[in-house]
Amino acid sequence: MRRTLSLWPLALLLALASAPIAIMYLFLLVDTVTNAPPGSAIPNALTLAHWRFLVDPRVTGDVWRPTVTTLLFTASIVAIVLVVSSTGGYALSRLNVPFRRFLLAGVLVMHAFPLVTLIIGVFLVLQFVGLYNTLTGVILVKAALMLPFGIWIMKGFYDTVPWEIEMAGVQDGASRFTVWRRLVLPQVKPGLFALALFAAIDAWGEYMLPRILAPSSDFQVLSTYLNAVSDPDSTTYNFNLFKSVGLFYMLPILALYAIFRERLTNIFGGGTKG
Amino acid sequence: MPFQRYLLGLGFLSPALLVLAGLFLMPVALTGIIAFTNMSISTGVSGGAHVITGNLLTGLRDDGVEPAALDRLAETVFEVTPEALARARAAGVDPAFVADIEERLVGRRFTDGRAFERELKGLPHRPRAIRDLKVAADLFGASILNTRFADAAAARQAVVGVLPDAPEATVDRIVAASYTGWQWTTGNFARLLSSPDTLRLIVNTVFYVAATLSFTVFVGLFLAIGTFYLPPATAGVFSVLWLLPRLTPVVLYAVMWKWFTWEGGFVYTAAEALGLPAFNYMKGSVPTAWTIVILVNGFIGASFSMILFSSALKAIPIQQLWASEVDGASRWQQVRYIVLPQLRWPILFVVSYQTLSLLSSYQEIWLTTNGGPGRTTSVWALESFNTALNNYTGDLQYGLGAAMAVMLVVVGVTLSVIYLRLFRFDDLVGRPKIEF
Repeated sequence: MRRTLSLWPLALLLALASAPIAIMYLFLLVDTVTNAPPGSAIPNALTLAHWRFLVDPRVTGDVWRPTVTTLLFTASIVAIVLVVSSTGGYALSRLNVPFRRFLLAGVLVMHAFPLVTLIIGVFLVLQFVGLYNTLTGVILVKAALMLPFGIWIMKGFYDTVPWEIEMAGVQDGASRFTVWRRLVLPQVKPGLFALALFAAIDAWGEYMLPRILAPSSDFQVLSTYLNAVSDPDSTTYNFNLFKSVGLFYMLPILALYAIFRERLTNIFGGGTKG
Repeated sequence: MPFQRYLLGLGFLSPALLVLAGLFLMPVALTGIIAFTNMSISTGVSGGAHVITGNLLTGLRDDGVEPAALDRLAETVFEVTPEALARARAAGVDPAFVADIEERLVGRRFTDGRAFERELKGLPHRPRAIRDLKVAADLFGASILNTRFADAAAARQAVVGVLPDAPEATVDRIVAASYTGWQWTTGNFARLLSSPDTLRLIVNTVFYVAATLSFTVFVGLFLAIGTFYLPPATAGVFSVLWLLPRLTPVVLYAVMWKWFTWEGGFVYTAAEALGLPAFNYMKGSVPTAWTIVILVNGFIGASFSMILFSSALKAIPIQQLWASEVDGASRWQQVRYIVLPQLRWPILFVVSYQTLSLLSSYQEIWLTTNGGPGRTTSVWALESFNTALNNYTGDLQYGLGAAMAVMLVVVGVTLSVIYLRLFRFDDLVGRPKIEF
């Protein structure tokens, strides 16, 4: 009993430090369904008016097209990252590759590489190959930027697979490819799943690449859509509306978070450690 | 055969190598190359042409090129050539009048517009209106000004045509200056070294990284150790809450901070109710803008370090803590002598990793204060990005931006190499056990 009592000041301090986050996320939920009188943050009326943008494209423009585009964008990136990381990570973990140390160090350095250096070069590469202002170009770039992380994570997971499994497979006459495909890949399923989850959340939230690499194109993803909607000079200047659009945008992430909380914590904490 | 041993590995690696070479290594190399050019939106990305403009002549005059020669370049020359006659006919000038000009003036050249017009007035089929006459006269005028020449030779020929007796060096200078494409230069670095803005940006960046990093480490430590001592249910609430900033899409995160700190927002309303100064904290003053920049990034960082520290704390054998309590250690002594030593490597990792990522991060600043008020909260990475790719005036200077980015990379790579040594890279890269 005395122990719990003495912890109260600690809990209070923690609550104080967390207050900004708690307030921001609480009001993110509350403000989307309420109205507050001017000059106060405390709501006094329930309303569904802020969600009208879902059915009425006159409010903020059609929201469903960007949603579909974002889904497509995210799914493509996850697919590319999974395929390329699972083969690349395996090669670096288990196969004979020339300059292996150098490649691994390269992957690590790339992972920490300043994006701002890349973005200028990427911009020019896309212009040269004609993928500037296209969804394909943005998808490729985003996937490429995630690859060093993906390869590094997958290498870590392959490293934990016992060598005996592969040796047994080879002994029984399977090729290295079959061994990888049928024996090793099932062993690293948790890794693939974690990487997919991470890549999906990262791609879903991506804003800068579509904005810079496809500024005048006819597609929008939800991040650029939200940014356009929440422009302070817009006629619909209303944070309750901005938050409704934002919450709609974040719902899939919140859903993933609710289902896979434990695993997400591991990825976001231990994952980057490699 | 040694190569065959590598075949399978290379096969597995090739998709990754292909993508990384095209969209990682090539951009980096390009950035390094562009840093030594004056490439900008006006020079274009591919090659350019040669154009002599009025501005160019003014610039050359300031640089000490002989003014008389430049004046002659700016002049309009009227020359009766077969091409000019055809042009006049096509433009609908009275054919009889054109025939007159062809008959009497072909081959003649006038450097003065009035003299040419006087000659035209003397012709039998001249138009009645003076305006028509002037229109016809203009069709024979040609100026080297604002004419596009596809290559240096064509530009040179045209300049020599106007200035037959100019010295070789002057012509060379004019032709070189008239090039509109990008050129090799080390001027970007010279400009960065001499600009007073550079020092201010460096100070800003160091301050930003140091302050945000301290916030990240200390708040992360506090949260991790705090939740470590709390009962699991209460601790769970905090860890749920603190993961959110890292999961939230950056645009929404920025919108939430705007709501929190702008006029009519939460802090504003609260300050007003308490009688404290209420204004747009994100844009209204330099200290509040810095505070917000540091908090916006610090919350994400603290979320990252808290998880890392918490998982390291879980590895402490609980018996050690019990033993220390039996020996009469206070909570503070426990933290100081058991918990913190356990966190030495995670803290070092957070410091090194976050230094790198903060040095190159600008998305959050871009979406919140965007370096304002003025450029007081701008950092190196944001300035580089704005210079090269995101500029209100549309004057995108790829070369200068790339030079700034290259300097960031030099710092970043130096730090990475140090960190790799620190973290005993060799342990991470054991050799494969099956060699075929």
